[in-house]
Parts: sequence; C-alpha cells; structure tokens
Amino acid sequence: MSVPVEVSQQTVQTELVAAAEYAAAAGLDLDTGFLSEHSLAFFVRFWNRDGDQFYAEFQCEEYPLYPPTVEFVNKSRSERGTLRLYPQGFHPTPCICMRYNRKAYGERGGPHGDWRMLDWRLPTGNGIAIDTLALMVSDLHSKIRQSSGRMA
Amino acid sequence: MTVDQVQDSQNPETEHPSLPHIVHLRVQTPRGLWSMQEPKDATKRPVYPISTKIEQVIQDAREVFKFVEQDSKYTLFRGDEILEPQRTLASYKIEDGTLLVLSVQGGNA
Repeated sequence: MSVPVEVSQQTVQTELVAAAEYAAAAGLDLDTGFLSEHSLAFFVRFWNRDGDQFYAEFQCEEYPLYPPTVEFVNKSRSERGTLRLYPQGFHPTPCICMRYNRKAYGERGGPHGDWRMLDWRLPTGNGIAIDTLALMVSDLHSKIRQSSGRMA
Repeated sequence: MTVDQVQDSQNPETEHPSLPHIVHLRVQTPRGLWSMQEPKDATKRPVYPISTKIEQVIQDAREVFKFVEQDSKYTLFRGDEILEPQRTLASYKIEDGTLLVLSVQGGNA
C-alpha cells in the first residue's frame, strides 16, 4: 500500500497551515523551504529552557497513511540522529518514542515492536492522540521547552 | 509576608492599579486560535477579570477545542515564558489583547 506523492504533499501543505500558526505564536522557526514533490520534508527549530537550540526534521513520505519520520538534525542538516542532537528526556536509542514517529516502530528498527504503523493515530497511554502535524509540533515544543541539556 | 500583604497581592487593583479589570486574550492552540471571533462556534470567549487564575484559561481553552484527555499535559505560554497554573493573569501583568499559546503534550511510551 502506498500514497501518491501529490496526496501526501497536499495533506502536508494543508496541515502546515495550523502548524505554522502555532509555531509563529510559540516563537518556533518553521522552515518549509525544502517542501516539494521531490522532498516532503520540513524543519522546526525549538529551544529548551536553557536556550539551547534543537532542529527537528519531519520527513512525510506516504503521509498521512503512515506517520512522518521525525528526527533531530544539526543546523546544517548534515548530521542526524546522534545523541548530542537530542534534548534530554527522550528515548536513549535515541528516538522520539511516540506513535507519530515512524522511527519508533520495530519494523523501522525502533523500540516498539508492539505498535503497528497503520495505528499511528492512536493515543499513547491515556494521553491525547497526536494525529496532526500541529499537534506533533506542540508535543515536541512542550517536551523540549521544559527540558534541560542534551543527551550527550 | 503578612496577611495584609497576601491579601494585597491577590487584589489586582492594589497590585496593578493601572491595569484594566478585564482582559481580552487570544490563545493559539494546535487546533486553532481562540479569540473574540474564532472559532465561530465557540461556547465561550477569552474574556477574563485579571484576577483569574491561569488554570481557568487552560481549562476553558481545552473545553473550546475539546482537549478532553486528562492524562495529557497542558501548558500555557506567553512567548517563551511558562505560566504557572496557580498564578493569576494580574501577577504576570497580562495585558488586553495578549497572545498566549496552549501546548499539548501526548502521553509517553
């Protein structure tokens, strides 16, 4: 099963309206400059409580059937997924261990062999279902802003 | 702090005599903006006496946008500043028209 790239692109662009409004109000930097039919990626810059900057990449191929792959990258986006790019408080693999992150699933090498990617919109535990791009940005904003330091 | 001082700190007129008694807020959430105009079908509007606690604003914004899950974490921000639920709008010198942000955090795996 796959999703045509134009469907994913249209869905991402539609959902990014709310994500952009949220990011602007929260003082986050949302970069959609790379978003095209050839690259369904966008980036968000967050700050933790110490003022350290963190850059998250959202790769949205086959969205919304499957969740995006969300990964921390460096400012120039030449390095990704290393401990020093992660804020404290995330899974030590390292991984953003949420259903909205494709990397968290066992079939993608993540820690959750008990999750199915098709169920990504389900809530984690008894919390709210993080099922839109704006909610993903908000979830990360809340976690990172209240954290201190890096994982390495 | 004496009893009188405690009472004074809870009285917005005494603490901030130049502030209006009522403020009209805007609250950005991941599901949209809550304001005097939006969403059109909102059951309440963000108009508050400045003696209102932050937790009341959070509760009302959750109600408007149907954030019903109790186990999620809801935090109100003014820019980069986290607003403590038990403090009042007056204690933060929140002004009329201020834009706040409600962040919503999902559960942890």
